[in-house]
Amino acid sequence: MTTAIEFQNIQTGYGKKEILHNVSVQAERGKITGIVGPNGSGKSTLVKTLFGIVPCKSGAIFLDGKNLQSFSRKDVARKLGYVGQDTSVVFDFSVEDIIGMALYHQKKTDLPSKERIRLAMEELNILEFSGRSIQTLSGGERKLVFLARAVAQGADTIILDEPTNHLDIYHQIFLLNYLKRSGKTILLVIHDLRLAAHYCDHLFLMQDGRVASSGIPEHVLTPKNAKQVFGISGKISYLPDGTRDFCMDFQ
Amino acid sequence: MKGKHIRSGLLFPVLTAFLIFSILYVVSIGTTPIDIKTVYRVMADQIFFSGAQTAAGAWDKSIYQIIWNIRLPRVLFGVCCGAGLSICGAAMQALVLNPVAEPYILGVSSGASAGAALALLTPLPFFSGQYRTTAFALLGALLAFFCVYRMAKAGGGGKIQPVALLLSGTAVNAVMSAVTSFLIFMAKSPESISAVYNWQMGSLASAQWSSLRIPALGTALGCIVFFCQSGNFNLIMIGDDDAAAMGLHVKRFRGMMFIICALIVASLVSVTGIIGFVGLMVPHMVRLLAGTSSNRIILPLSALFGASYLIWADAAARSLFGPAELPLGIITAFVGAPFFFYLMIRKNRGGA
Repeated sequence: MTTAIEFQNIQTGYGKKEILHNVSVQAERGKITGIVGPNGSGKSTLVKTLFGIVPCKSGAIFLDGKNLQSFSRKDVARKLGYVGQDTSVVFDFSVEDIIGMALYHQKKTDLPSKERIRLAMEELNILEFSGRSIQTLSGGERKLVFLARAVAQGADTIILDEPTNHLDIYHQIFLLNYLKRSGKTILLVIHDLRLAAHYCDHLFLMQDGRVASSGIPEHVLTPKNAKQVFGISGKISYLPDGTRDFCMDFQ
Repeated sequence: MKGKHIRSGLLFPVLTAFLIFSILYVVSIGTTPIDIKTVYRVMADQIFFSGAQTAAGAWDKSIYQIIWNIRLPRVLFGVCCGAGLSICGAAMQALVLNPVAEPYILGVSSGASAGAALALLTPLPFFSGQYRTTAFALLGALLAFFCVYRMAKAGGGGKIQPVALLLSGTAVNAVMSAVTSFLIFMAKSPESISAVYNWQMGSLASAQWSSLRIPALGTALGCIVFFCQSGNFNLIMIGDDDAAAMGLHVKRFRGMMFIICALIVASLVSVTGIIGFVGLMVPHMVRLLAGTSSNRIILPLSALFGASYLIWADAAARSLFGPAELPLGIITAFVGAPFFFYLMIRKNRGGA
């Protein structure tokens, strides 16, 4: 198994406040890796270090074993697709305009841009949004458009920050099934522990800027961690088809 | 709504044709009316035959003087200002992610004017002439921009909120205007005082071929840089995180483009003074017409449309009240301020 993304002892913060203390996270090629943890535990911050949005104070990031520093920003954009948490758009762009932005820093291919945009939309089943303004779409619909952009980018790794936010249950499952089927390396920041347990191959549980636990979901979403980190009682159980589920006690 | 949007492809030739027509027509307006055909012939003669017919006496020398040396520089000046202020407005709206940003509202124009006033009214020993004024205007514009941006960021808790941006723009505007007024108060010579006064109102009256050089350079440079970067302007309009993930060095890009904006504004303001609301209104009108926000279309169209808009506004400024010329800034404020208000109301109803 090869590591597509490796965060090694990342330390960072905003101003004087340190958010991440010595965080190490790995995403295996072709697998779905989830980062879970309570609000404010540093999940999004970690992901943002990949794009230089938040600079690392110490530690290193490796893409396919090579130091991130050795890539230009455009190279990183070609390798990694990103779907951020906030998909609201202040200005009026058409859906095609947004997806087309994926191609600005890509190398030209034989396929014309229009066709690449259309294919990405087809893949996510959003051809019906064609020609519409991004501002007329709901939060969940916008999320799919931004995922289509990551797909159009052609990157073999996609990073998603809380992708299921604002999505109805049908689209949550649609999106995660799509990611699973795609065979790409996926790094997710995810709040929903049931979805995390079901879809992720590996989990990293973060608490107060540290990795509290990591491994397969059975090792991470233990009753003890659920209690200590989230303050709930819950445990992994198995659905009739043998897949994982996370059961919570709603007390 | 979609059917109503005129195809942006059609807008380019239409606006270009309208600009050329506007230049010819506006040159023909004035206290000495000249018919548009003569304007065309004199200009064509000058451009293509380097004035052969003028030299041969095909028309009165004074007609040639009025068209070529008095009115045309002024109209071209208007073209530069209109295009420059409009692309600056469009660029600043993208850079601060706010539809109401523009050089005047964010205090950048006032900063440039304070810098220019400083250069004109205080006997500093280095540089000289128009370049010195422009250099000081540039410093003033950069300072204002920097202050507004930092204040808005601090006021909005790290993220730039529209209200914080407007407030800090207002504050910087007030301070920079006060600096200019103070400099006037301290000044000794009445000519420089009247010169500074003219700036605060904004006017193209000082246009000559020789004073056209700096604004033309500034605007041309701005147009070239902005048009080349239009894709990156699109990326940044979606948000910083997204733009960074798309491969843009957000901080560096924003800083460089701020400097270009300040350069354009300084090159214009140091000659024309403050002409407000052009950069606010024009990009929005163009967005409505073209039905998109994509800067690949909006930036060039803003330049074309802004140029036409400003030369008509200037034509109104110099002909509405007979021989007494109205400062151009008054006209653009009368047209632009209600538009500003309209934008705010529309924003509250949802949609930018």
